[in-house]
Amino acid sequence: MHRTDRNTAEIESLYRQHGPELLLFAQAVTGERGRAQDAVHQVFLKLIEKGTLRQVVDKKAYLFACVRNAALNEGKQRQRNAPLDPDAAWFIPPDRDYAGEQNLRRALEALPGDQRQVMVLHVWGELTFSQISDLLDLSSNTVASRYRYALAKLRDSMFAKENYCANP
Amino acid sequence: MPTLDDERFEAYLKQFRPLVPKPLPAVEPSLRARRAVALGAWAAAAVAILVLGALTLHIRTNRARIAETAENVGNPERLQDSQPLTMRSANALMAKAPSFKAMVDGMLFRSQAVPLPKGKRSAVAVLGKEKIKL
Repeated sequence: MHRTDRNTAEIESLYRQHGPELLLFAQAVTGERGRAQDAVHQVFLKLIEKGTLRQVVDKKAYLFACVRNAALNEGKQRQRNAPLDPDAAWFIPPDRDYAGEQNLRRALEALPGDQRQVMVLHVWGELTFSQISDLLDLSSNTVASRYRYALAKLRDSMFAKENYCANP
Repeated sequence: MPTLDDERFEAYLKQFRPLVPKPLPAVEPSLRARRAVALGAWAAAAVAILVLGALTLHIRTNRARIAETAENVGNPERLQDSQPLTMRSANALMAKAPSFKAMVDGMLFRSQAVPLPKGKRSAVAVLGKEKIKL
């Protein structure tokens, strides 16, 4: 197979593998599904055009960093910290628990942006605190601290609305 | 370290799977490939123009040569030029004239384009004025 084709296939495979988490993260940054989708597409199309990811050691963390930059650059042209889109779903809920999905989305919306990013990166992106600290240019302790605050707030918010404590 | 409750809560959150993004739009050929294609197209166009030009020139030259030859064959006078009659021009006349008479006429009735030096006269002119008894 031609080298360029091989690289394209590899990048498309990465898109299939990490696309959902990257899209969720872009949504957490931009607050809007359409803009998030554009940012993710922009990153992957650029990667395909440049043709290689071979020199990148941690491809997953690199992809999250690229998506964050793309989403922030795109956000600069519009308004920063735009409110999250209340209607667009972010998740496929377990057992068609759409109320739970909406509850989770609203709880995430209520978080400060920096805590929301850490939350998404760690829980759904499955990045370690060390990787997140490199990505966001923060210390690992700051990342861990933000995560703990975010988790507590999220749980409180969801408990209050869903009475999660009774049957988690 | 997260407490057990934190871990259970994380596990609960992970049950919500992020939505799958739309498929990537059709990937266009890379810039390098596009540049190569454009360069190739320009090169092919340039070569085609050169070949057409050369062909046109060649055809026109051939036509002019053929037309000139045809005219010369029909009119041997045209073979005469301002140069003195030489063996070469005589041979050319012999080769191109339609008949022997036409060739001889062509050699005899040549225009005198080369001016004679001052004080000298043409032998034909002198002989033409003398009365010769035969």
